[in-house]
Amino acid sequence: MSTGLLSREEQPASGSRPAPTRRGGAGLTFQHVRKRFGAVQALADLSFAVEPGRMLGFLGPNGAGKTTAMRAVFGLVELDGGEVLWCGQPIRVQERLRFGYMPEERGLYPRGLVREQLEYFGRLHGMDANAARAAARTWLDRLGLAERGEAKIEELSHGNQQRVQLAAALVHEPELLVLDEPFAGLDAFAVRTLAEVLRGEAARGAAVVFSSHQLELVEEICEDVVIIDHGRDVATGGLEALKRSSTRRRIELELEDASAKWLPAIAGVELLERRMGRLRLLADRDVEPEQVLADARRCAGVVAFSYGPPSLAELFVELIEA
Amino acid sequence: MSAWRAISLVAWREIRERLRSPAFLWSTVIMLVIVGASSALPTVLHEETTFRVGVVAAPPQGLDAALQRAAVPFDATVRLQVVGSTAAGRTALEAKRIDALLLLRDDRIVFRESVDPQVAAVADAAVRALRRRLPPAPELAIATLEPARETSEDAEALVAMLGAALLLGSLAIYGQWVLAGVVEEKSNRVVELILATVRPRHLLIGKVAGIGLLGLTQLALVAGLAAVLLAAGVYDAPPSLGRSVTLVVPWFALGFALYAVAYATAGALAAQQQDANSAGQPVTYTLLAAFFAGYAALTADAESAISQVLTVFPLTAPLVLPARSALVGVPLWEHVLALVLVLASIYALVRLGGRVYAQGLLHAGSRLRLRTAWRLNHLRD
Repeated sequence: MSTGLLSREEQPASGSRPAPTRRGGAGLTFQHVRKRFGAVQALADLSFAVEPGRMLGFLGPNGAGKTTAMRAVFGLVELDGGEVLWCGQPIRVQERLRFGYMPEERGLYPRGLVREQLEYFGRLHGMDANAARAAARTWLDRLGLAERGEAKIEELSHGNQQRVQLAAALVHEPELLVLDEPFAGLDAFAVRTLAEVLRGEAARGAAVVFSSHQLELVEEICEDVVIIDHGRDVATGGLEALKRSSTRRRIELELEDASAKWLPAIAGVELLERRMGRLRLLADRDVEPEQVLADARRCAGVVAFSYGPPSLAELFVELIEA
Repeated sequence: MSAWRAISLVAWREIRERLRSPAFLWSTVIMLVIVGASSALPTVLHEETTFRVGVVAAPPQGLDAALQRAAVPFDATVRLQVVGSTAAGRTALEAKRIDALLLLRDDRIVFRESVDPQVAAVADAAVRALRRRLPPAPELAIATLEPARETSEDAEALVAMLGAALLLGSLAIYGQWVLAGVVEEKSNRVVELILATVRPRHLLIGKVAGIGLLGLTQLALVAGLAAVLLAAGVYDAPPSLGRSVTLVVPWFALGFALYAVAYATAGALAAQQQDANSAGQPVTYTLLAAFFAGYAALTADAESAISQVLTVFPLTAPLVLPARSALVGVPLWEHVLALVLVLASIYALVRLGGRVYAQGLLHAGSRLRLRTAWRLNHLRD
């Protein structure tokens, strides 16, 4: 499943603390950001960074503070402490003109025309009327909505409304793109389209941040991830390096005899899943894979065996449970 | 982005979206038709006119026929009522059972308070026709029971009442548009996208300005038509009333700025579309209270101290000042004072309401109380 990803360029792990301290860095930087809503500490001490041309998966369990952090980029949350920086500088309205945002709760004007709303958002981001018109047309073409430009938003299907929402975030060629759960509720085709669009934006040089609970998808398309819990970053950095830094290893093996009752009797090895003769195990990093293989062979023939870093989902569970 | 650019972008979006719905166009057409049709009203009424003329018994032969003939050029008929004595005639006149009392013995025609020149002319013509066969007599002397007023009070009261009602309706309707627009933006979270690049205060001002411009355009067309018709003498009213009618337009702008900001603030406190109406109620009730307070004060005595206070008090001035100007006139200093006070109130409301608006917009979940919203710190304004 994840074997194809191992060839991906390896990133040095910035690991845990201390957080990025350089102020002059390109891209978006969160530095020790704190925010409390009444009794709820939404952001406790959040630090991470995303650079231009890279795609960052922003992960965390429900209620971890992802949406609050994203809204903070757009000045929609007044912080109690810490800083959100763009190119090392505090973010003002001028900087936000070059950002694109897709909020979690999607919203456009239901009775407004698709084309007019895209132009409106283009103009709100500083484009002149002609540039906004041209950009709106380009994005409607690219997202397959060229025929629906003069339709009202409320007349579109749910999927098409999502596309317009995406176009509204992209229409002004943002340097930073922040998307809150952009893949939620999309069918497989729409997921592929959106993934391609986001890759294209990163290739163009934009810094892309998106939150998601679809960890396999994140594993497929992101170079970097930040995992947060209780308003605090628990892991940030290159995806492969993070997986490798895990104290666990993933072992998959397939037994010849599907009915064999083998269970790993080795300390530090845990059975995650057994389906027919296929087993998925999670082992401590210092467990020798040969030892596991030999143990299995004592019970039944092994037709397939793989050993490697855990998947993102496994890493996620490991970090959040810790 | 400059404040002006942000405000005008927001305002234009409002205008474009509202113009797309037929509601604005049709309401304008209907109002213009009503004003236009009202100019035809005197003619319509005129055709049905019956002059009720009293005469002391016993009337000379042929008086009724002569009156009817004389009334023909006015498209009117005369109902002659014979009364027993002059005193009985006066009683009938005071009780409004007759419009005029013809006293042939004194060559007088008596009206209640204002002379109806048509009735006078009809009576005069009829009496002259009769007396060709009688000893010649001087023309009828015309008198009223009560001292005459300088102008027709009815026209002024009507203009004042209609102007105030027009203002009340426009402020309430366009205020509700603002309210609904704010609630829509908040409930579907489009406001998050906008506030990423636009300051809340600029969003508020742009919204109020856009919808206000639409209201102003409609009102200017309607009031303009009414003023033109008044000036052209289409109505039975002094042409100077046109000035009071045109006052409706700037006072709509001022009143709207005040009430629309209040509506927007109320809208920001609502959690969802269903809350919109109840959220706007305090503002609507204030508006209605202002209207009825003004109405009560002006009908009781337009010159009283309370009428004067309501003329300059910011919440009532937009409704009361144009009406009072039509009724009795408003001195310049009161115009200036009212203007200064209402502008100061608008400024204060944009500052204070703007904060509540900003905090309320970004607060998801339950409906907010005013005080809670004030204390929230979702963002710096």
